[in-house]
Amino acid sequence: MASLIRYIIRRLLFMIPVFLGVAILTFAVGNAAGNPINLIRAGLKNPNPAVLKALTDYYHLDQPVWKRFLYWLWDLIHGNLGVSLSGRPVISQIWPWTFTTLELQILSLILSIVIGIPVGVYSSKHQYSKADYAITGAAIFGYSMPTFWLGIMLIVIFSLDLGWLPSNGAVSVSYPWWGDNTLDWLAHLILPTAVLTYVSLATIVRLVRANMLEVMRQDYILAARASGLSERTVTYRYALRNAISPIVTIIGLGFGAAMAGAPALETTFSWPGLGYAFTQAALTLDIPLVEGITIVITVMVLIANLITDFVYAFIDPRVIVQ
Amino acid sequence: MSPSSPKRGAGQWAVAWRRFRRNKSGLAGSAIVIFFVVVALVGPFVVAYPARSYLSLYEGDAGTPPSFKHPFGVEDSGIDVFSETVQSAHNDLYVGLAATLITTLIGVAVGALAGYFKGVVSDVLLGVIQMFFVIPVLLLILLFARVFSVLVFHGLGLTLIVLILAFFGWSGIAFIVRGETFRLKEMEFVQAARSLGAGSYRILFRHIVPNILSPVIVIATLNIAGFILTEVVVSFLGFGDPNTSTWGLLLNEGFPYVRTDWWVSIFPGLAVVFCVLGFNLMGDGLSDALNPRLRE
Repeated sequence: MASLIRYIIRRLLFMIPVFLGVAILTFAVGNAAGNPINLIRAGLKNPNPAVLKALTDYYHLDQPVWKRFLYWLWDLIHGNLGVSLSGRPVISQIWPWTFTTLELQILSLILSIVIGIPVGVYSSKHQYSKADYAITGAAIFGYSMPTFWLGIMLIVIFSLDLGWLPSNGAVSVSYPWWGDNTLDWLAHLILPTAVLTYVSLATIVRLVRANMLEVMRQDYILAARASGLSERTVTYRYALRNAISPIVTIIGLGFGAAMAGAPALETTFSWPGLGYAFTQAALTLDIPLVEGITIVITVMVLIANLITDFVYAFIDPRVIVQ
Repeated sequence: MSPSSPKRGAGQWAVAWRRFRRNKSGLAGSAIVIFFVVVALVGPFVVAYPARSYLSLYEGDAGTPPSFKHPFGVEDSGIDVFSETVQSAHNDLYVGLAATLITTLIGVAVGALAGYFKGVVSDVLLGVIQMFFVIPVLLLILLFARVFSVLVFHGLGLTLIVLILAFFGWSGIAFIVRGETFRLKEMEFVQAARSLGAGSYRILFRHIVPNILSPVIVIATLNIAGFILTEVVVSFLGFGDPNTSTWGLLLNEGFPYVRTDWWVSIFPGLAVVFCVLGFNLMGDGLSDALNPRLRE
């Protein structure tokens, strides 16, 4: 128990330098132009001198850079992400986007785990069969494809050609799709979730298959078989438990990658999430908004990693002792 | 250091090549890669239209679907999609290869140092490597690309993207190299070199690093695919160099018109898929050939 607590504290402590690192990187980019007022000038077409004066006062732009960083960090720790170029507080803008992004990410994460593990196990149990070739082929296509391009293709087929599903936004503006608000929500979710699920599915299937093949060759599997256990018990109780621990890490890292991969997919589907908002904000050089979204996504990735670490410690208690 | 007797058995590279030759998907991947390399080198000299040219507009072909004259169709603005896709191969391969070259050099150096030495420096290096796993790399790549292209480095073009990709992309290879160095540094052949009086850096770069080349080669091959994919995303979102032909830029221009001009979106996308698939298959084949432990 004591070692578990020490493990948790160690993981928590690791988050601090990571968070600081990201904070420094994002702040540094915002200040890469020397005085960020130059960036704001590039972002706003015709900045009002009064607005510039207000921004200068608000962000302490007349102070040296290290002082500004400390001001900014201080605000950040207190949950104040500043004001975007549109004049609204960043934090209140970010909340709704966070939920739409999480909705998409978590749904496809669950789907890809639920589908991916049995498919990977099946593929490894039938190595070099036709089904195995089909599955590994589909998987390698999945991670060789730009996510958003698959999205575009599905939009062309299912929205533009067949007209079955909506292609942009998270809800309809004028009248609900399929005549009902819940169905409308579902209809908008189908295409982006399908794309995201397929892509993360590819990684999971591939890893489960490779790990299972390696584990199934171990002596203790032979011993389990020799003691007369059913193939099902050997596969799921003995092999999968050991094959799955590296996969947990990959799923955790994959969640981070998926969060960061959100810009392209969300832009394709005009999905009103963090990624879409980030893209727009970065293109218009709305630096406070960009910094805010980066920080929020970093925090979410760190939390996801923490959860991953706990799950990992639960599956494979050896990591605690190290 | 190698004992050079005139007659010796097959070296490890010959053995690996023999194994790779039997791997059908690895060979198919290499064939795709060779195809794209040839297209990238020869293509720009033989295509009908120069890069980023709106010539077809004046020929009255703007927005026409695929035809004999324009195999991949024409954009509304008059850009011939086939010529542009071919020339993009040149630029996208440049991004993939250059970024991989830089990240491999950085990754091997940092990983070897972090794995070999003990103490504060190696702890800090490991922390930095792990940090790069956690930070939302793509967001920072987009941000850097936008800010630096607006303000600081005008006209650096794709090289700016290469440098940004490299800055954020070296940690994977460093992590693997660190682990392998850590594993090898107490092996007998290293102790033998040490007892003969070899210095730390000689041991590291003459004895240890050559022994971890095979995982490095595999990851580098897969990294080429990854960097090309990232560049496609960067350009698709409008953060790339608008004056250089890339697949992502074509997809960016095609997306608003996908309802009518589907050909602008399909063909460059297929080029990306096959190119990346080629590198991934080749990397998997190399992995099988160089790590006999994983073979049955």
